[in-house]
Amino acid sequence: MERVEAAFPFISLSMLFPVVFALAVGLARELYARYLALVGTALTFLLSLVAVAHFDFSKADAVQLYEEYAVLPELGVKLALGADGLSLLMYFLTTLISLVAVVWSVGDEKVSYRLKEYFIAFLLTETFVIGVFTAFDLIVFYVFYELTLLPMLFVIGIWGYKLRLYSAYKFFIYIFVSSLFLLLGIASLAVYHYKTKGYFTFSYFELLGLQMPLSFELFTFLLFFIAFAVKTPIVPFHTWLPDAHGEAPTAGSVVLAAVLLKMGTYALLRFNVGLFPEATKLLAPYLVALGIFSIVMASWMTISQTNVKRFVAYSSVSHMGFVVTAMFLLNMEGLRASVIEMFAHGLTSAGLFMVAGFIYNRLHTFNFRSLKGAIKFMPLFATVTAVIAFSAMGLPGGSSFWGKFLTVLSAREHSTLLAFAVVAAAFFSGAYVLYFLKTLYLDTKEESVLVHFRDLEGAPLVAFAMILLPVIAVGLFPFVFFAFFEASLKLLLKLIGH
Amino acid sequence: MSLEQLVGTVELPDLRKFLPEFILLVLAFTLFTLELTFKGEKKRRLLLTVSYAGYALVLLSLFVPWRHPGDTFYASFTNDALAVTVKLFATLLTMAVLAFVNAYYRHFRSFYGEFYYLLAFTLLGVFILASSYNLVILYVALELVSVGFYVLTALFRGSTASKEGAFKYLVLGGLSIALASYGAAFMYVYAGSLDLREILSYEGQDLHYLILGLVFFLIGFAVKIGAVPFHFWLPDAYQGAPTPVTALMASVGKLAFFIPLLRVMPLVQEKFSVVWTVTVGVIAALTMLFGNFVALVQKDVKRMLAYSSIAHSGYLLAAAAVAKELGMKALLYFLLVYGVMAAGSFLVLALLERGRGWRNELEYFSGLRFTLPAVAFAFFIYLIALLGVPPTAGFAGKALVFMALSFDELWWLAFVMILSTAVSTGYYVRLVVLMFMKEPVVETGRPVSAAAERLSLALTALASVLLGALPGLIWFLIEASVASILGR
Repeated sequence: MERVEAAFPFISLSMLFPVVFALAVGLARELYARYLALVGTALTFLLSLVAVAHFDFSKADAVQLYEEYAVLPELGVKLALGADGLSLLMYFLTTLISLVAVVWSVGDEKVSYRLKEYFIAFLLTETFVIGVFTAFDLIVFYVFYELTLLPMLFVIGIWGYKLRLYSAYKFFIYIFVSSLFLLLGIASLAVYHYKTKGYFTFSYFELLGLQMPLSFELFTFLLFFIAFAVKTPIVPFHTWLPDAHGEAPTAGSVVLAAVLLKMGTYALLRFNVGLFPEATKLLAPYLVALGIFSIVMASWMTISQTNVKRFVAYSSVSHMGFVVTAMFLLNMEGLRASVIEMFAHGLTSAGLFMVAGFIYNRLHTFNFRSLKGAIKFMPLFATVTAVIAFSAMGLPGGSSFWGKFLTVLSAREHSTLLAFAVVAAAFFSGAYVLYFLKTLYLDTKEESVLVHFRDLEGAPLVAFAMILLPVIAVGLFPFVFFAFFEASLKLLLKLIGH
Repeated sequence: MSLEQLVGTVELPDLRKFLPEFILLVLAFTLFTLELTFKGEKKRRLLLTVSYAGYALVLLSLFVPWRHPGDTFYASFTNDALAVTVKLFATLLTMAVLAFVNAYYRHFRSFYGEFYYLLAFTLLGVFILASSYNLVILYVALELVSVGFYVLTALFRGSTASKEGAFKYLVLGGLSIALASYGAAFMYVYAGSLDLREILSYEGQDLHYLILGLVFFLIGFAVKIGAVPFHFWLPDAYQGAPTPVTALMASVGKLAFFIPLLRVMPLVQEKFSVVWTVTVGVIAALTMLFGNFVALVQKDVKRMLAYSSIAHSGYLLAAAAVAKELGMKALLYFLLVYGVMAAGSFLVLALLERGRGWRNELEYFSGLRFTLPAVAFAFFIYLIALLGVPPTAGFAGKALVFMALSFDELWWLAFVMILSTAVSTGYYVRLVVLMFMKEPVVETGRPVSAAAERLSLALTALASVLLGALPGLIWFLIEASVASILGR
């Protein structure tokens, strides 16, 4: 992979900004915490826009804005940050979602105590996630990947809902333990490199061309896969997610679903597919099957939920199933579908969690049944919800349409039967959205509890607007976003010899 | 033999190579004399000040042996980079602990002036243990360290737990030293030499003497580091001892007892690398599993950290199982940083115990963030370092051990390590959750901390993170140390 040195350290600066503002939040009075956080994330978002503007899209497969600082030369560890088109999109998503999360928190009534820690946690998360998406050194990637756990542990455990401690615990243990396998995998890769080439390195670029015996490749593939399958999550490993996402405060769920889940699929694409092409080709059919299984199972589980947040959480699992299925179809349409679906799901899941949070703030319940028809009294909110939910369902014009449509196209390249399987799975994932909307809109509220609620206004409205704009943009102009990552995907396909 | 020839064979000891030991010896006797001469509050402050000055002098004097590596005393005293590195860390850790001593003993009305010179003698033992290949010298040094720790453990007025711990330590420790000396005798029979380097490179006939000797000798050390199944003394001694002494045992003590093992590693790799790997690997696996599983059910935090110390002996032994350059580096790095994190975590307890009505039980830690935010934060750092969350030093240590294990393709041991780390997540995170996410449930008084104590905690916490995030800060020491024992 080609590397282009950064003329200006955009990426390290956008990782530094939130840390600096987190320090400021720590030192300033609690009163100013939310404004400082707002300014910090907004500045970082603007910086990411400038970075996107400086990105040379004509060679989007090269790692641009590349910075490198030696950490431990003896073992080949260096802080290598950069972005190709794929990373750039994820980096942009991160800064956007962080800003949305902070904007939302400003108007969230649940966020009323220990404000300093709250905003510090979100600011640090932003830094760490940017690190994950832009690291091109495996140890550095791992460091940031694990670091995202700590602030989220606190966010879930302190500001979460009823089962918060249990969920925080479960979240941390699942992800931490699974990622130990990743650490072993990374370590064994570096050692293998030492044994064949004579020096240690964790650099993605150098490990990319490593020739391994198939058995070793399969072994390390699986070590990486365990970590990312739990993170993504793929169905038998998903049980931490409904608890973590269901109990976290709204902004926490937004960040968890929109950005942290993408770390799993991004890493699958970047590391598993990139570093272990032979193993990928060998295991791809099984992983596609697992992905389809994931979609169907998660969709069924979604339909049976009565808690809005858990409903959205399970729907995330089914969406991530699409991402995994599409990815391991291993053709251009499939990879495209998986990346655009990652981005689209980042937006719609954030939106849906905000819908859930908004409902809670008005009604103080997450229970579906007590919401029957409630949405009628809030026309603006009803519209927003409908747009986001239909987008998530994959209605043409909505953001998730392209992901699903391209997945079917890509499956058709393999066999018509497979395409039918994907369509059948997509049917279930559509069903739960319709069920959700039916309960909100069409069922009537019992008269005794007929109350008028205030509609969307203030900070939540701004947060929704910031989500809706890109949702519609992805739906209507997908090729703008394809331009980000198409070149990177071509390079990946070349690596696996397609 | 003429007189000239006789004089020619007499080697003059080179003071430059053992200057720190000499200073330490002088310091110990000075403290001894001061302890006899002075009385009351003045004595306490004097002993502390003289100790600080003495250890600072020792630190400074470490530059001299660093500049002049080589053997002296007829090769029974080895001064190399490894020895200097260990001495540097041992002294620094001792100084960190020293800040807590006076206040701790005053709170428990258990001040003994003997503490200071016993500590100096113990440290002298650590220094000598770190720099010898000679079986007799190792034996004497081992005794010096152990006796020091026995007495320091027992020096706790009115605490039967401390006596019990010390007694268990004494009995098992005595047994282990007897075994070690028995092993030393066998090895002498095999090679006719007391120098480990000569013994292990000797091509003799009766290899069973060597094996028997080495096994006994290493069992002696296995007892000292608390490896399963020789660990029974450790939780009681750690829990019963005055907490600053526990901090010393877990950091400086562990550091010292692992060094002879590290020195043996390059020597075994030719003759019996497979046997070594399997034996040490199995002990490592048992140790980490046992330590972590038992720590999980502890209600007393001090005891929990003691079991976590056993578990860490397991991780260290896993690195030791790989008798290659990478294994040695991993072992030494992890050993040094574990000392820092362990000292810090026990020192937090030493501070908390001074609160009125405090007990080291789990519910007392509930809501610590609200009552003592800075202490809670420091404890949080040590806990995540012990757990191995990046970018702390514990993480870098575990990553190095994983690298070492994949070097020898010891996948089974790597998976055991993943499993046991998974278990350890349970108890470390439980403490974090208790401290930060729950309200206080027990009313206790807040301990008053001195500036030196706060500085000591802050520095150990900072080191726990920095040594992991920027391992380059000490990596040159590791490289030089490993190079020195590999004879480069």
